[in-house]
Amino acid sequence: MKPARWLAPSCFLLALAAAAWRAPLPAVPEFVPPPAARPDRNPAAFAAELLPTAAPSAHAAALAELADGRIAAAWFAGTREGAADVAVWFATRSTGVWSAPQAIATRESTAAATRAYVRKVGNPVLYAEGGRLHLWFVSVAMGGWAGSSLNHAVSNDGGATWSPPAKLQTSPFLNISTLGRAPPVALADGGLGLPVYHEFVAKHGEWLRLGADGRIVDKVRMAHEVRTLQPAVAAFDERHALAILRDAGPGPGRIRVATSVDGGQHWPAAAALPLPNPNSSVTLLRLQSGRLLIAGNGAGNRNQLLLWVSDDTGKTWRLARTVESDADELVEFSYPALLQARDGRIHLAYTWRRQGIKHAEFSEAWLAGEAP
Amino acid sequence: MNATAIYGWLAHGVVLGALVSLLPLGGARRYLAWAALPLALVSEGAVLLHGFAGTPSVTLLALAGWQLLGRALSPLGRRPAWIIIGFAVLFYPLALGLGPFDPYAIGYQPWPLLAAGLLLGMLLWRQRRDDWLFILGAGLAAYAGGLFVNLWDALVDPLLVLAAVAVVVRQRILGRSAGSNNTAG
Repeated sequence: MKPARWLAPSCFLLALAAAAWRAPLPAVPEFVPPPAARPDRNPAAFAAELLPTAAPSAHAAALAELADGRIAAAWFAGTREGAADVAVWFATRSTGVWSAPQAIATRESTAAATRAYVRKVGNPVLYAEGGRLHLWFVSVAMGGWAGSSLNHAVSNDGGATWSPPAKLQTSPFLNISTLGRAPPVALADGGLGLPVYHEFVAKHGEWLRLGADGRIVDKVRMAHEVRTLQPAVAAFDERHALAILRDAGPGPGRIRVATSVDGGQHWPAAAALPLPNPNSSVTLLRLQSGRLLIAGNGAGNRNQLLLWVSDDTGKTWRLARTVESDADELVEFSYPALLQARDGRIHLAYTWRRQGIKHAEFSEAWLAGEAP
Repeated sequence: MNATAIYGWLAHGVVLGALVSLLPLGGARRYLAWAALPLALVSEGAVLLHGFAGTPSVTLLALAGWQLLGRALSPLGRRPAWIIIGFAVLFYPLALGLGPFDPYAIGYQPWPLLAAGLLLGMLLWRQRRDDWLFILGAGLAAYAGGLFVNLWDALVDPLLVLAAVAVVVRQRILGRSAGSNNTAG
């Protein structure tokens, strides 16, 4: 037999062996368990202000606490949602004052870094991991938000400078239709679990498991009998977590639920919460006290922004506070983001009338009904 | 800019060059196809295609390169084209959410795919399809080199499926044309 006969199979086998060497074999996933519950001692307090204006139309805020204690916010803003001049903006809050917003991702900068055409950008997600600040945001080349791809950038100086964004490979079809909205959950192996969603052909939540090096090592679908979007996740211990999702079905909507009992390997649907959801973004936070907090809209439209609390890991919920309310159903207070800082104070950022991003800071005592 | 971004941009330049080589441009076709490659990179044509189509698979790049080099017989004959189309008909609807099973997710920890790849490699070797052994081997090598995090992306993409459909349609048309000529004769 001629030696040439063996060239192709030898190359193939070599490549196959190299691929096997590189294929990840991650450990069974576990969440980083939250610290033991402790009561919040902060007195009742509530204060709110608009973030400095970056552009006439603003939407979809995200929050993170930096290593030095500053609160960071990111959102997208431009002349209107989807316009070519929309950028992802970033500001930090120190001693009660917000810095001037700076554009940290534009269509031009994203296109230059990914060598791929970008028509618009949107939906930022922030996450502080020690001194590293992660930013995920979506970019679209054609069509609406269903055509989104997910990009990732990192800052090692509290958001002053950012790495060039890299496009994540999350979909086999033109790499489209993966969007983020809520922050990730830390995993015991040093990786992250990032809740994302898909909205081309079908609409459902997804769970991206990232390794400690940031590489995607798994993707899990959060299947529901109705269309769902924008999962937000809170972990209770190493194995158990709760995800709440926006109801994108025919309505009347309720906050949808998926749960995991195996560290995020599976996310079966659970019974919807008895809380309304008018096809709008919701967010979930496990407080230091062990209570759960949800921010979302009321039954009508997006003209009411409400806070619900659960004392029993999500079994029952009660309305704790109405943050915004307007009789005009066309007025919008939406897309909330929640964060509890290390000092115990709770931060809420949300879209305010599409004209700006509003930030509210409050304590658990205020949530419990005490007057500031 | 990471390596995957540069690969995707350059590969789409080759794809656009290959597309030009398919146009009925007479004797200048090969020269114009080669000229289209740098032109696509400079004129942002490759950037546009990269934005719309995502990162091309190594399989598509290899077939495009084959076409650009002017090799007479493309590995993408009728049988491989039908296999790709059949695969796509099952794979993409499931991966896009029709049903609970997501076959794309397997590509992130692709042990079952690698096992299937070994069997496929043996089959190709028995059939003396060295061209496809090299192409699939290049895809595996690209995955091993870190250009792709999901093995499926290294092997298949929607433009490859489109190319397979084009091959089948073209052969159908040519077959009918030959049939009608025979009848007429």
